Amino acid sequence: MARSTVGSRTLNDLPAEGPQLQRRTAKSRVDEWMEVDFKFGGSRIKRKALALVLLGIPGLAPLFFMTPALFTLNSSTFSVSVDDTLGTGAEICLFLCLLVSPMVTITGQHWFVPLRRWYGIMMGCCAIGDATAASITDNFAGGVFGRLAGHVFELMGFFMVMLVLPLLATGNPWAQRKLGKYWKRLHRLIYVIWGLLAAHLMFLEGFGFQSGSDGSGFAGDGDPVFHQRFYQYSVCSLFLLLLRLPPVKRWIAARQKEGRNWLVYVTIAPIFALFVFGFIFVINEEIFKGMDSFTEHPSAE
Amino acid sequence: MTQTYLPGARGQLTSGGVIIAAGSILAAILVLLGLVYAAGTGARHQAALAAAGCEPGLSPSGLQCTTVQMLTSQYMAVATPVTQQLAADVAGYNASEMHSVAAARAALTAEVVSENSLDTGLAAITFPPAMTSVASALMRDDVALAKLTAEQARSTSLTRMRSFNRRVQAASATVQAEMKLIHKDL
Repeated sequence: MARSTVGSRTLNDLPAEGPQLQRRTAKSRVDEWMEVDFKFGGSRIKRKALALVLLGIPGLAPLFFMTPALFTLNSSTFSVSVDDTLGTGAEICLFLCLLVSPMVTITGQHWFVPLRRWYGIMMGCCAIGDATAASITDNFAGGVFGRLAGHVFELMGFFMVMLVLPLLATGNPWAQRKLGKYWKRLHRLIYVIWGLLAAHLMFLEGFGFQSGSDGSGFAGDGDPVFHQRFYQYSVCSLFLLLLRLPPVKRWIAARQKEGRNWLVYVTIAPIFALFVFGFIFVINEEIFKGMDSFTEHPSAE
Repeated sequence: MTQTYLPGARGQLTSGGVIIAAGSILAAILVLLGLVYAAGTGARHQAALAAAGCEPGLSPSGLQCTTVQMLTSQYMAVATPVTQQLAADVAGYNASEMHSVAAARAALTAEVVSENSLDTGLAAITFPPAMTSVASALMRDDVALAKLTAEQARSTSLTRMRSFNRRVQAASATVQAEMKLIHKDL
């Protein structure tokens, strides 16, 4: 094995806790700024708390979009658009949950880490809501199980929901304490869910896009490629996956240590741009279908 | 470990560097392709509208022309769940019309809700001029059917309730025939 060296020093010359731990414990200036209180009404609130609330609110949007149909028991809206509204909502929440670690790697900031748990919980709620509504209102034959797992893409979705249940049940500090080292292993199931989402969309949409009146990705606005859900998933996942690879994380850490953060940003910019490009269309889908669901005029496009 | 850092060789190629550089180049190409593709959106949109029999120049500014495909989608989104619900409600009524006033009334009340939701859903769709008359007739007859069903639901005895059956069936047949006409036009 080749000996690792940093500049003229070997890794053995570094402090006992290692560079990773040093970096983890060191607070960035933004983290420190976020810890400061400010006065709001009669009480003092941390800037971080306000920022987390504002960044967390969008996680409620998919469930909010479905509330009118739930209160009025509008089976038509549920039947037509719950898959799109809550399904796409779960996808958005999963991506935002998975986005936290790469953002920590790039920025070195930690103040937004609680959003990972929040978006994980909202992803679970959306996925369970989607499956529940589909089991009641979908048109597929075979009773409840047929409606949940009668097609391969549905089966993938069903597996995802089954896997999300233990994560949702143990997504709290008490379970984290009780499970100890097993908690992290259990919660790595999120990566299985991420993979199953690929299979779910692959079987739902296929690899092609709409041509004429056939194929995936509604071409009403002339952009079927951008509306193909599997493509959206793929371009978003490239960023989320690459920034999780240990060699890439090491490379980024080394550049940051050299004080060449600009190189990290320049290299990552196209990958992040691609993520944003794909994610915008996922959000567009959610807003478009969500508003239709909210006004109880569901769109089946 | 393949990663090495040598003095004076900052930023040399490592496996991580190669991966991120390859990913970055791929992403840059895809973003460029996406932008090139996006530049043709307007032309593709107009071609799609023209192919669907919708003249782009006649669309009001800011409003998209409703293509046949979009109209079909909107109509099916309204009609499919209502038809399914009505079938279940009618089966519920048929099962109870001989022995339970309460159950039959509940089924009829559910029918009224479904019929009203069909009317509400259809009213939200903008039908092209060629289909307006059939759509209006459908909505009018559906409202009449809902009124008749509501009247039937108010019956205090099963005999009185069953006396409506023939009229309701006739009204229902009219609605179904008009729905078939719209299906055909779409």
